[in-house]
Amino acid sequence: MPQYMLLLYENSANLQRLSPEEMQKATEKYMAWRNLPFTKDGKRLADGTGRVIRPENGKPRVSDGPYGETKEVLGGYYTIEAASYDDAVKHSLTHPHLEYGGTIEVRHVFGS
Amino acid sequence: MSASAQTAVLLDHLFRRQAGRMTAHLVRLLGPAHLDLAEETVQETMLRALQTWPYNGVPDNPAAWLFRVAHNAAIDAVRRNRFIGRQSDAVIAELYHSANAGPEDPRLEEQLRDDELRMIFMCCHPEIPHDARVALSLKTASGFSVREIARAFLADDAAIAQRLVRAKRQIRERRLTLDFPEGSGLRDRLDSVLEVIYFLFNEGYAAHEGEDLIRQDLCGEALRLGRLLADSSLSIPRADALLALMALQAARLPARVDEAGDLILLEDQDRSRWDQQLIALGFHYFDRSIAGDDVSGYHVQAAIAATHARATNLESTDWPAILCHYDDLLALTRSPVVELNRAVALAKVRGPAEALAAVEKLQSNPRLSDYYLLLAVRGHLLLELERRPEAAACFQSALALRCSEPERRFLQRKLAQCAPSGVI
Repeated sequence: MPQYMLLLYENSANLQRLSPEEMQKATEKYMAWRNLPFTKDGKRLADGTGRVIRPENGKPRVSDGPYGETKEVLGGYYTIEAASYDDAVKHSLTHPHLEYGGTIEVRHVFGS
Repeated sequence: MSASAQTAVLLDHLFRRQAGRMTAHLVRLLGPAHLDLAEETVQETMLRALQTWPYNGVPDNPAAWLFRVAHNAAIDAVRRNRFIGRQSDAVIAELYHSANAGPEDPRLEEQLRDDELRMIFMCCHPEIPHDARVALSLKTASGFSVREIARAFLADDAAIAQRLVRAKRQIRERRLTLDFPEGSGLRDRLDSVLEVIYFLFNEGYAAHEGEDLIRQDLCGEALRLGRLLADSSLSIPRADALLALMALQAARLPARVDEAGDLILLEDQDRSRWDQQLIALGFHYFDRSIAGDDVSGYHVQAAIAATHARATNLESTDWPAILCHYDDLLALTRSPVVELNRAVALAKVRGPAEALAAVEKLQSNPRLSDYYLLLAVRGHLLLELERRPEAAACFQSALALRCSEPERRFLQRKLAQCAPSGVI
């Protein structure tokens, strides 16, 4: 079955406003989705500023970024199995991330 | 991923509960002047859980995970700001120590309960305005958010937020501490704490089916705080009495409404739906409460609730005992609402005519002028006396006053019963 990668971008400020009780509800909804059979893997990316490496005048230059304060940062990813893009999008549309103001980028894993 | 990652359901109110106790705990370590920092740290911790668990799985011991992350965040914050001045190193050392203890440590468990109690006692400090005590307790010791508190009290967010800001300023400016007061100060503070707990309970108890669930959560929180206090070394008989009263009343909650959400009066309730566990809890603390000489309003109200709980059906209710308790309560409180309740017991013991005379005396009381229950009780007594047109007029006037939807439907049902007999 083809694999798709779901990249979850989030704006922490949206989540920061939730009460502990609401955060628990959100966690439970996310967990329930995580446990659906089509989800194969998922990982969280650590908070804090990462490093970006890009060539500058022919030499790689390392800089800090993206910053956590940026409006939307990549928070984590899931790998799911789906028959087609339509199918992958259908699964993604049920993800609670959208309800909490996040963005999901869906990409087909080449060759899978 | 841990084994428990397979389950998507966490312990009920886990986050809220842990947020409350961790805030109380951090406030003790950081000092009350840094209450905001403690709250932010805890909020950050909860956010961290929300952001990592859905990917990496729920940790084997969620409470321990939250506890450790909160301590690390607090250590970082103290290091970053060094705002506690020369004491920073000592605070960091204590945070380390506490983080390594982990919440399974029984001594720590006891310490956390003590922290929560201290927090509530500080929230009820005489320097904190009355209207802020409840909100501050819910926010700091119980893990409610501003919006949840506003919803629970049908107030708006801004009003609650402002109340909290003022209370926190008071804590800083008056340099309030988490120390328990001594001597008569302790007695007064305990009374103030009990008042806050009972207020929470009543707000929750008054909530109706169909209303925001958050209001009903208040009952559970009041019971939890009541137990925390009654089980502590500070407990006094009236704290036991309040807990008994709350447990015995809460036991009736499952029987209070029918499937349609309509109110069912005590006398029509299916007593098999009363929560036996809460009744047992209520009697346990009621027995403890009568150990001393203290007789408070909570004692008398608990005695009334206990009399109802003892009766297996309406007929076996000891109404003369209940009437006696209402006499005591009236002597203690001089409250017209108590007098109205007493009239209901009076009707059972000496008949509706005598009760009606008592209710009519209350009608000129300005405190009851827009209280729909006064008219409802009067209507009920008139109906028992077969004075139907007058009863109907009572229920009609009651319907014009402020009451909830289920109460309105109840009054309408009573009004329908007033139709002349024989006419259906």
